Amino acid sequence: MTPIAGGVALNMAFGFSILTVLTLIIYTRNGDQRLYLTGHRLALGISFFVFLATFILSYQLIISNFDLDYVARYSSLETPTMYKISALWAGQSGSLLFWLFILSVYTTITTIQNQNKHNRLMPWVIITLASVQMFFLVLTNFVTNPFMPTEADFVVANGNGLNPLLQNVTMAIHPPTLYLGYVGFSVPFGFAISALMNRDTSPLWIQSIRRWTLVAWLFLSVGIILGGWWAYQELGWGGYWAWDPVENASFMPWLTATAFVHSIIIQEKKDMLRVWNMVLIILTFTLCIFGTFLTRSGVMSSVHSFTASSLGPIFLTFVFFILVVSFGVMYTRMNDLRSPRKMESFSSRESGFLFNNMVFVVMCFAVFWGTLFPVFSEAVRGTKITVGPPFFNQINVPIGFILLALTGIGPLLAWRKTGKKNLIRNFTFPILSGLIAAIIFILIGLEANVVISFSLCVFVTATVLTEFARGIRARTNKFDESIITALTRMVSKNRSRYGGYVVHLGIVLMFIGFTGHAFDKEKEFSLKVGENDHVAGYEFELIRLFESERPNYYAWVSDLRVTDDNGNFVTNLHPEKRVYFHRNPDPNRRQPHSELDIHSTLNKDIYSVFSAVDNENGVAFIKIMVNPLVRWVWIGGYILVFGTVIALWPRKDS
Amino acid sequence: MDFVRDYGFILILFILPVIFVLQPLFLPNLGKQENPMDDKALKRKKLLIYRQIKELEMEFDMGNINEADYHATRKELKQEVSKVISQLTPKN
Repeated sequence: MTPIAGGVALNMAFGFSILTVLTLIIYTRNGDQRLYLTGHRLALGISFFVFLATFILSYQLIISNFDLDYVARYSSLETPTMYKISALWAGQSGSLLFWLFILSVYTTITTIQNQNKHNRLMPWVIITLASVQMFFLVLTNFVTNPFMPTEADFVVANGNGLNPLLQNVTMAIHPPTLYLGYVGFSVPFGFAISALMNRDTSPLWIQSIRRWTLVAWLFLSVGIILGGWWAYQELGWGGYWAWDPVENASFMPWLTATAFVHSIIIQEKKDMLRVWNMVLIILTFTLCIFGTFLTRSGVMSSVHSFTASSLGPIFLTFVFFILVVSFGVMYTRMNDLRSPRKMESFSSRESGFLFNNMVFVVMCFAVFWGTLFPVFSEAVRGTKITVGPPFFNQINVPIGFILLALTGIGPLLAWRKTGKKNLIRNFTFPILSGLIAAIIFILIGLEANVVISFSLCVFVTATVLTEFARGIRARTNKFDESIITALTRMVSKNRSRYGGYVVHLGIVLMFIGFTGHAFDKEKEFSLKVGENDHVAGYEFELIRLFESERPNYYAWVSDLRVTDDNGNFVTNLHPEKRVYFHRNPDPNRRQPHSELDIHSTLNKDIYSVFSAVDNENGVAFIKIMVNPLVRWVWIGGYILVFGTVIALWPRKDS
Repeated sequence: MDFVRDYGFILILFILPVIFVLQPLFLPNLGKQENPMDDKALKRKKLLIYRQIKELEMEFDMGNINEADYHATRKELKQEVSKVISQLTPKN
């Protein structure tokens, strides 16, 4: 597998992408079936060559062929094989190829899956997907080619190695998951453009993409959660979300995508919100590309900017191109987008969903504004003013509360309209539960935001449980089933509905975890062996301090014995101070890194960081954080995945 | 052997895909695409309305909607599905 073959494969893929678009555009005009078949095969051909190029680059990374600039820059002989493979998405050109690879996987599945379906929609779906592939092929062929030979001035002995922050199992999984989410929205976007081009804006295209949308949403959600998990495990500041531009870049499409996931239910069932759905999917896809722009352009400073570059203007041009073309086509189809039905009542599930969507979009705008404020301020006033977490929290915490409340309100509203009697009946138990919880939390003396958050969590949980209880009762009364049978059949026959409720429970658990942040405590201190210090009711004693050499780093390891106030043993923590590339003769290439250790329980996490070491005096500088309820964020993530899988599971209709 | 290996490699990886892609162009004219999608779309629509009726029944059993709304919506959905079935029947 020579690297030259990789470059040629990318050239071929680029040529095929142009031919795909041209062939299928001609087909849409003359309807010649041979052209459709050719276009179809050309689309598969693009994917084949992209797969080939990706395979060749991965192979070069595994065999450490430092003749390739990319391999020399992002791996070394000492890099473990798993991280050699993950180096594929560690650098700019590799990560763009990886984007293209995932897009090609999705394109192949869509093309094969719909070979004999959606004959009118598919040509424009393939044209759209091939156009997106073409953009990334332009980048990987002509702007940042991963198959370039090593530059003469880049000295390579045994490879530059992978950034230590990326040498983490989560980081090996997080980017692919996030990319699967980002890129996944290309398929619904392709169907949306196709529906517009065909003037077929009925719910048909929505039915074709419902599952795709959920899959992409699931991956994006998991990607974001894994990103938070990685930040928590690796960055050593004790948090999982910092409103960093790159974090926001993934959060913005998630917000519009979540609105879209809710909104398509209305179009599928009621054929309403046609314009709204088009706007949401166009925004979601554009924000996915914009997210890649934020990560790659170097326009924002971020802890995640591993691959900042000058690709910004090209991405920005593509973002404008998508917006102009998509909204341009949409404008010409406004008559076809008029929904045949109107909202009948404010107190209906339809209006609840619409309001919920609007709040999502407002939140997205707030995040967008805060993220790009430094750019706007520099453009207008010449000074880069960065807004930090306080701005984002001030704006988004209240919006988050509204969304959490709507998570509970929506399911209690009926389609079309909810009568007064039903409103009282449906809301009494959840509202009472929330109010009683609020009174208890106030009496305990919790601060306002904590009271609101926890009370809303109780309200939403009561809503979801009420819905499950009512459904089970209805089935047991009607079909004389046992509770377990009723529950199983009820969920099985209404997977998207009850899967959605499970997702809502996951979100509630995550909010409980977020709220725990209000009780965080931290302290920094230095210890010699045998000394101890206290933080938040725990005693930390340094038992020993030792050194250890491993294949790709050198480490100072501390052994901290943790006991509670009563002297009961809690755990031993072993945070490390590491130096990566320690064998590199150039000291500037050696990279220090703090590997933390966490003792995690449902109640709280004890988070330890080995900040620095004084070798001469045998002193370890330690930072301890006690973070309550963090584990609920990750448990909520698992529940969210479980609920989405229920909603995604195909059902057989009799 | 190297010659055979190198050229075999090029043939399999680069020339065969091109032949595969261009092959349909050498087929006899397949004519224009009819629109067989309508039937599938109608069947899908029928299925979705049936699902909505079942869901409506469940909402009613759960007490989430009142009787008048239930009957009105059910009647509306049944009329809608009848229309879809009548469009399907002549073709099947």
